[in-house]
Amino acid sequence: MSYKTYAAPKSLSRRSFLQGTAAAGAALALPSAALAQTEGQLLIWLPGGSDLFCQIHTGLLEGFSATANLGPATTVCGLGQDTEFTQALIGSITAGSPPDISMLWDSPVSLGAQGAFMPLDDMMKGSKIPLETWPAGLLSSCQFKGVTYGLPVTAGVYAMWYNEELFEAKGIPSDRASFPKTWVEMRKLSKEFTVWDDDDLKSAGFMPNRIPETMAIWSALNGGMLFDEANLKYMLDSEQNVEMMNFFLEWLDEEYKGDVNLIDRSGNFREGYPDGATGVGPAFREGRQAGLMSGSWLMGDIYADPVPTFTRWNQAPNPIGPSGAAHVSGTWPNWFVIPVGSKNPQAAFDYLSYLAVEGSVSWYQQIPDVPTNSQVAVKPPQSLIDNRGEAFARDLTAFLAEQAAIVTPMWNSPVQSFGNDQMARAMEKIFTHAQPVAEALAEAQAAAQAELDRVLAG
Amino acid sequence: MQPELTSVGAAKPPRRLRAGRGEARAGFLFALPWMLGLAVFTIIPLLLTFYIAQSKFMITGAPKYIGLQNYAAIWADAAVWKSAGNTMMFAVISVPIKLALALVLALMLNRVTALSGFYRTVFYLPFLMPAVAGSIVFVLLLNPGAGPVNLMLEGMGLHPPDWLRDPAAALWTLILLSLWPLGVETLVFLGGLQNIPKDVSEAADLDSPRGWHKLVWITIPLITPMILFNLIIGIIYSFQVFTQALVIGGTTGKPAEATLMYMVVLYRTAFRYFNMGQAAAMATVLFVVVLVMTLLIFRTARSWVYYEGDSR
Repeated sequence: MSYKTYAAPKSLSRRSFLQGTAAAGAALALPSAALAQTEGQLLIWLPGGSDLFCQIHTGLLEGFSATANLGPATTVCGLGQDTEFTQALIGSITAGSPPDISMLWDSPVSLGAQGAFMPLDDMMKGSKIPLETWPAGLLSSCQFKGVTYGLPVTAGVYAMWYNEELFEAKGIPSDRASFPKTWVEMRKLSKEFTVWDDDDLKSAGFMPNRIPETMAIWSALNGGMLFDEANLKYMLDSEQNVEMMNFFLEWLDEEYKGDVNLIDRSGNFREGYPDGATGVGPAFREGRQAGLMSGSWLMGDIYADPVPTFTRWNQAPNPIGPSGAAHVSGTWPNWFVIPVGSKNPQAAFDYLSYLAVEGSVSWYQQIPDVPTNSQVAVKPPQSLIDNRGEAFARDLTAFLAEQAAIVTPMWNSPVQSFGNDQMARAMEKIFTHAQPVAEALAEAQAAAQAELDRVLAG
Repeated sequence: MQPELTSVGAAKPPRRLRAGRGEARAGFLFALPWMLGLAVFTIIPLLLTFYIAQSKFMITGAPKYIGLQNYAAIWADAAVWKSAGNTMMFAVISVPIKLALALVLALMLNRVTALSGFYRTVFYLPFLMPAVAGSIVFVLLLNPGAGPVNLMLEGMGLHPPDWLRDPAAALWTLILLSLWPLGVETLVFLGGLQNIPKDVSEAADLDSPRGWHKLVWITIPLITPMILFNLIIGIIYSFQVFTQALVIGGTTGKPAEATLMYMVVLYRTAFRYFNMGQAAAMATVLFVVVLVMTLLIFRTARSWVYYEGDSR
């Protein structure tokens, strides 16, 4: 005999309503509990990035945790970029439940100087990644007043990218040695490629720099700097920087009708990636731009969507400005920090040691962010070998290593974002002819220095 | 003979009074979660904001009292003044246009009998779309190179502006974007229109055949409470405009600070420059400005808002 049981329907009492509410509240709180750290189990936060980027880091952390006999590790990916990621990280630190490790895409100096990240100097002593194993220029992006607040485990290295096929089509030598050595030469060469159809820019050579983050490199190429770390002084309106901006402005007027809006209406000539807001594809990959300054991370993406209209490209040293004396490069590192309040600081540091030496090799193979610790010997990424052959991949890897050795100090101001915003504001005014160069830079200089002084006053 | 009520009443309260106390206790308990929420999420943060505004507070560590220095820093900050000017301009232009458009829409909806529910839903839908998503859609629509709006205008032989990159046009684009979700204001006006007594409306029709006479002398005066409500909400919203401005102009108010709004400067001061003290001082100033404006509007409302049954 079979039978059924059933419960008589009950009306919703006040008590059951309150119980239900409490249960729902607990369920809602669970996801936030999953983001909190646990002793003996590492928790790492990553800002934005592709699925592949997340997979690489999840695998590396899990592998390390298993080897080190730690509990199951958690990698939280895609918490946002820029300000929203910082906001989440600050929130977790002030709430006392930060991750054990966080990757940053902005210099750790500002927050480190304010006590948000653990100083790493003592842990580095006697470890397998002591201070002397890091390039000084790169490590300075993590240091303030002699204290190290993070590690630039890998870095994108900036160099000039150019389309060899476009060069050859114009009968211009495309080997690295023949690439322009100075801004003047580059400006002259640029005209060969620039074609206007009325107000539509069909194709372009090279562009005056309009990316504030890389302005420190251009300044150094002209013998200047944006921030003098030794004397804690901004240098935005120095002679070299005024000269640099005047050079760019004259170039814009002469070759690009003096109108940045016309350039932007014609396509994305600023970077090698689709525009974040509009999705407009990069002119460089569309074969409409002869070259641009970009980071080495583009090597990992250049054959992906949007697929370039050409196969052969190359990289060359950044040309020197009128007042410059030597080629320099720059970086945009992937910084790692241990937030104050980490429950597993030593295990977190051990992981960073592993990541900086062994982990970064595997990382570079899949996404070519260049390992920065001097003990790492990298092999060319497989994707590059597959697309361009072993010889080219080896040559380019060696070239990037050379560029990494000549990086100029950047990202080293305790008010990095503020200074960057002031530079961006000045550049926008200059390039739209809203303010004369010297005046715009002087205004930016005054604001940045005032903010620096305020922060340094303690 | 009088019954002896004194001793009975003193010994035991009347049944209704006891029931009333029980109800009051239950009512209090039911309201308690909301009151706790108000205290924890509104009142305490508000008081903390006032305190932090007078402190040097850089995220970590304890706030250090510095008096009115943060207010002095705001006074000297060109970006604050620029953003305040933009915000004021945004409010002065967008609020009246929005109210006028919502009123026109409500008047039209009030006349529609068939499919009225459908139209109300359609006009309310944009309000439900997240502001970020809506802003991105507008960025794509208004893209000067490939956006359908400019392609259409160019097809008509016009020379459309560079909506998002031309400093002269960007603020107007932001205003245009703010006019899009009109649903709430429209529904509030519609509620007011549908509450106008039919006899008053019919009498007005008999008195004057001209529709605009009825609109000016009957309809608008009778919905002035709704106008007041929408005006105050509109001003509060426009002073706090943030998401659209951030999506379009980033934290620097591109192009050339044309879209730099007060809330964006406040946000970047807190979470980009980590200067919580100054950000709190900015929030306090905004609170006071909005409060004063709201009180001023309430004060003037006595002379232009009609409440049924009001003796004035």
